[in-house]
Amino acid sequence: MTFISLTQLPWRNLSFRHECLPNHWVCSASLALHIDEWHLWLADKPAGRWLLCQQQPLAFCAALIALWESGRVAVLPADDRPGTLSRLASEVDGTLPDAPGPRLAKSAETRPRVVPLDPSATAVVLSTSGSTGNPVQLAKRFDQLDAELSAHAQLWPLTDSGVISQVSHQHIYGLLTGILHPLCTSTPFCGGESRYPETLVTRLQEASAAGLHPVVVSSPAQLSRLPEHLAWHAATPPARVFSSGAPLSQAHAQLAERLLQAPVIEIYGSTETGGIAQRRQTSHSAWQPLPGVALAFQDGGLSLRSPFLEMPQQWWHQPDLVAPVDDGFMLLGRADRLVKIGGRRVSLDHVECLLTALEEVSEARCVDLDRTDGRLGAVVVLEHAFIPHQRDARQCLIQRLRAHLFDHLEPVAVPRYWRFVETVPSNTQGKLDRTLINRLFADLDDPKEPRWLGEHLLDANSCLLTLEVPERLAFLEGHFDEYPIVPGVVMVQWAIHYAHDIFGHRGLFLGIERLKFTRALLPGTRFTLQLTRREDGIAFSIDSQEGRHCAGQVRLQAPKGGQHG
Amino acid sequence: MTETCHQTLEIELKRLIIDALELEDITLADIDPHAPLFGEGLGLDSIDALELGLALQKQYGIKLDSEADETRRHFASLAALQALVEARRVN
Repeated sequence: MTFISLTQLPWRNLSFRHECLPNHWVCSASLALHIDEWHLWLADKPAGRWLLCQQQPLAFCAALIALWESGRVAVLPADDRPGTLSRLASEVDGTLPDAPGPRLAKSAETRPRVVPLDPSATAVVLSTSGSTGNPVQLAKRFDQLDAELSAHAQLWPLTDSGVISQVSHQHIYGLLTGILHPLCTSTPFCGGESRYPETLVTRLQEASAAGLHPVVVSSPAQLSRLPEHLAWHAATPPARVFSSGAPLSQAHAQLAERLLQAPVIEIYGSTETGGIAQRRQTSHSAWQPLPGVALAFQDGGLSLRSPFLEMPQQWWHQPDLVAPVDDGFMLLGRADRLVKIGGRRVSLDHVECLLTALEEVSEARCVDLDRTDGRLGAVVVLEHAFIPHQRDARQCLIQRLRAHLFDHLEPVAVPRYWRFVETVPSNTQGKLDRTLINRLFADLDDPKEPRWLGEHLLDANSCLLTLEVPERLAFLEGHFDEYPIVPGVVMVQWAIHYAHDIFGHRGLFLGIERLKFTRALLPGTRFTLQLTRREDGIAFSIDSQEGRHCAGQVRLQAPKGGQHG
Repeated sequence: MTETCHQTLEIELKRLIIDALELEDITLADIDPHAPLFGEGLGLDSIDALELGLALQKQYGIKLDSEADETRRHFASLAALQALVEARRVN
């Protein structure tokens, strides 16, 4: 394996033809042809910055190289959402089509005289979420990329390898590890559909059959969902598996190592910094800096100097919380409101801004629910008139909000769980704290609870709760198959449950009086539960926009020392 | 397969989708058998595709093929998914 830096145009000097690989693998012969087609297409186009959004690695590489060889800059959007593309399209000199179209003339005439690239020139412009919530663009020079690629070559040489990428090359990690490092070392590579585990198995077998040692470029989204049953053993075990983009749990690191029979190397970094550190957590949990990266720890924060940074001599403050240990550091999480979902950096502020741009939304809180699937929740404050009272209205509203966000965010970043309120529930410090967040979303994990949307005391002895009937409420099952309703006994149970919560009644149930069911309570209905403390128990009523559903009095044995009994 | 079995499986698959992907607002009646599951239809995404693959394997022992375009065709709609389960279930 010979490593040639990007500025020396490795794709023009190397030949990495592998006859026995299927053609979804990128090799030099096919690449050269496609590069020339792009040169032809670009010949009469303006210079400058060009938007490049292309999922297939061969087409992506060919276009990228043609831009570079013709002195242009590639602007890589973080996702292919229409809102993202149209926003970026206005800031660039042109947008590359999916394909350059049919060849009209001899390519040799249009290919520029190929000379080494200027190390100080901008190679790519990447997009990421800034700490303020707005998308930011980051330019990377060739010398930055080459410095990092050379560190990769030193740590993880691609000897007789075939690189299989499961991640997007529109981001720094996938670009460096899945595309550029193979290009600089004449290593065949593939991507695209390899993100599916079934396809990965096939690609592993293809690499084995061609006599190559596979290297897998992956992320926690894939490694945490590897199916056990696939024929992982049928291929040569990978030389290594990379994971980056988000923290990989130890259990998933072990699972991936067991199934793929290969070391899982995690790379920690960001778009701004490139790679910072790496580890193989099944043998060592501390992160070790990459070659050339200098670290400093202060007040739980991390600073670094690195040849991969825009200004290598200056200290860069990384907004992550860390704890230094003897031989490296441990990562403790973000210091700002950025979360990772499916490996994508998502700014909670950005999601909130997008939501509040809508007329009916007066305030929005986007929350990380700490769920294993990483899905976000949204607590949305609406004007009274916009509050949905029935399932259909709620669902329409959610559809509308999601559709709006889909225009600007990648699908995985769009909140999955929605809570509509007239005011944000707050604790005594006026904050929406973790306890309140847990209450708002408690019904997700407990199918017996109604959806809690807030409560307030009317006076010392009465309280009004706002609730909703979850569509997945356990009690709906079997209670009229065609027409699910909340059974009356469940409404009474809720009243007793919340009376315990709010008034601290712990008395034994003695009986129910004046119980009236006047209207069926349907899934998705928003309702209020009014509770009033009485000498012998509680009175309750359940009402919705349609009217009263149920009311009654529950006699409870008074607590010890009480007036009753 | 009889009509009743067909309908039972349809309901079972709807439940599987709702439960495996934790779609809190979606009821059985909301899933149109012929509407796209991904993108504009039910709005499922790339993580859901991976979860759905795991759920199908767990519930029906279905091992998806490696050819990704085929995998995606099976996930195109509930009806396509049902055809896959009917043809390939092992339990």
